[in-house]
Amino acid sequence: MTPLFGKLLDELDARLHVRRDARRTANKVFPSNWSFLLGEVAVFSLVILVLTGIFLTFFYRPNVEMITYTGSNPVFAGRSLPAAFESIVRLSSDVNGGLLFRRLHRGASHLFIATIVLHMLRIMLTGAFRKPRELNYFVGIGLLTLAFGAGFTGYSLPYDSLAGTGIRIAYTELLSLPLIGDRVAFWIFGGAFPTGDVIPRFFVLHVMVLPAAIIATVGLHLFMVYRQKHTQFPRLGVDGHNLVLGKPLWPLQFAESTTLFLWTGGLLAAAAVLIPWSDVSLLGPYIPGEVGNNAQPDWFLFWLEGALRIFPPLEFTIPPGIVISGPFVAGVVLPGLIFTFLALYPFLEKRVYDLSGEWHVLQNPLEIPLRAGVMLGVFSGLLILSAAATNDILSRMLGIPIEMITWIARVAVIVVPVVLGLWIARYSRKRLRRRGLDVPSSEVDGQERYIAA
Amino acid sequence: MSDEQRSRPDLQVVSEETPPPSQANDALVIGSAIVAALAGIGFAVGLALQTSIAVYGTALAIGLLALGFGARRYFSDLFPDIEAVEPRHPDDGEDDESVAAIAPLERRSMLRNTLIGAGGVFGLSLLAPVPSLGPAPGDELKRTDWRRGTRLVTTDGEPISADNVATGGVATVWPEGSVNNEISAVILVRVGDGHIREPTNLEWVVNDELIAYSKVCTHAGCPVGLFREQDNALFCPCHQSTFDAVRGAVPTFGPTARALPQLPLGVDEEGFLIALGDFEEQVGPAFG
Repeated sequence: MTPLFGKLLDELDARLHVRRDARRTANKVFPSNWSFLLGEVAVFSLVILVLTGIFLTFFYRPNVEMITYTGSNPVFAGRSLPAAFESIVRLSSDVNGGLLFRRLHRGASHLFIATIVLHMLRIMLTGAFRKPRELNYFVGIGLLTLAFGAGFTGYSLPYDSLAGTGIRIAYTELLSLPLIGDRVAFWIFGGAFPTGDVIPRFFVLHVMVLPAAIIATVGLHLFMVYRQKHTQFPRLGVDGHNLVLGKPLWPLQFAESTTLFLWTGGLLAAAAVLIPWSDVSLLGPYIPGEVGNNAQPDWFLFWLEGALRIFPPLEFTIPPGIVISGPFVAGVVLPGLIFTFLALYPFLEKRVYDLSGEWHVLQNPLEIPLRAGVMLGVFSGLLILSAAATNDILSRMLGIPIEMITWIARVAVIVVPVVLGLWIARYSRKRLRRRGLDVPSSEVDGQERYIAA
Repeated sequence: MSDEQRSRPDLQVVSEETPPPSQANDALVIGSAIVAALAGIGFAVGLALQTSIAVYGTALAIGLLALGFGARRYFSDLFPDIEAVEPRHPDDGEDDESVAAIAPLERRSMLRNTLIGAGGVFGLSLLAPVPSLGPAPGDELKRTDWRRGTRLVTTDGEPISADNVATGGVATVWPEGSVNNEISAVILVRVGDGHIREPTNLEWVVNDELIAYSKVCTHAGCPVGLFREQDNALFCPCHQSTFDAVRGAVPTFGPTARALPQLPLGVDEEGFLIALGDFEEQVGPAFG
């Protein structure tokens, strides 16, 4: 403790009695592994998103009325543009530093979602979702969903040609809900697409509702980590079931996190210089009835877009008039099933292997055949769906007709996950047998075998 | 080891490695702190000079990376590298010791001060985007839309004839073509008993009875809205500033210190009231 900080704490303690809690917090131990920093980078990205977002909010106009752009961008000078798009052009071309903040915000948003996804992969592969952390696993899935929502609404706000197309498809997804779809779509869009209401509403969602929800949920997520303490990788000679081994928060983890935060900001600034994130002058404003040849969402929604592209034609009516359509099955039912399955997976694993007690020590997924199979199956399927979202580009690059690519994707998305899943499960079962092991049903049991091995 | 450690309430150091003082490390901390501070200044100056994103973006990146590096080197100098264990289910004992179990090493405070200084300079430089929020004021607040020959018009845009203003009346008037331009608002007064006197500029009074003042109160910028006929007082309802309309609108009561500027008033060939020029004094509340 540096003297100044110590004195400050003395004064605070005399009033709020923080010393004991502060000491406990300062002594909280962080097991070290690079993959444990992914979640931290997500939090730092969120901080950068909030700071840059405040700046952008001062300039953005959530409105689609046509106005004339009078600024210095030669592509749009004198043209009549939707106000939202005009304000983005003005921000990028005429506000000093505006482009930097737009790019920082855009870059941070990609990093935010990417690190959440990677963090989630780590949690799933190593089994950090097991008791007592199932609750926090649900919170994490909720956070990912909120982040997708924030990403999609943010992608929509510039009202460029891609954004408008994306909003149009989201509108279709809402319409496709059986029975209530038209009503729900009109609620959210304020009428039939494209209404002037959708951009102001997405703006409120993007700058107020979703950030508030994300910040509150991150708070809950971290509070649970604080209460439950970290999981850790196994280490010889350490009783990981009863002890956490690592660096204390003060000073070592604090130093590491400070560095990580500054470096995250530095790399995002460098990326803002080098990468023309979402250059609106390449896209142009959204005009209903027009779409470019490159209509793609942001990468994190590729899997949804791919499902829409390769799902076979389907549309039928169940009396007395409930319409079930392809976009409903591919864009609502399928993602719903995937997310529900991932959320329920901890209970599946628990039941199959008859697991008991608490689990704090992480495991290689190859030591649990079911998990190895499910994870490889689900995520290879998601990757194939994502690849299918680029079927037009793949077709052009490979010189294969797009119909063929689509059929390959349709077959692959069913066959590949099953084959890969079964193969890896079989491989890990053999691997266990070769070592004379099976899946332990409690952590204490597992640790004894591990130490014995 | 678990039973013994389970009873301990707190942190237990397993391994500890104290780095020797190193001049090379000191140089790294100080060097990167200086780089960070300079990069921060570069960011602020680059933004102020409206250079390109390549310049100030790179400066920002270098500043953040250098500050991160300096902080890292600083902590590794100040604290031993330790590994510790903490029980997952600690006993809840009372505990009044100092906050952290790890004490800092006795090392030079210059490193800390350099780093805090650099962080301060860099942090301040992050305020550089603030000027982007609005244009530079220039002399926009010092000039109004009144020019020599500009007609006085009503809010409806009608020009005003010198014979047509009611005795004891006040009217809000605007420069022709700039109705509702707030800073140009003028209050036109026809003083009943004509003894307009100094410090009023008598050359700007028409027919010994028509006189025009800026309507923007010199205290807090409210419109001076009321005219009290019995003592020819202009009154601002916001903070009760009161001006004497026959003596150059000097303040007679209330918090304001400055008279309402008088508009140079004249009549054109067609008999309509015109301005003979812009206000000669600062209109509205004080600034700068």
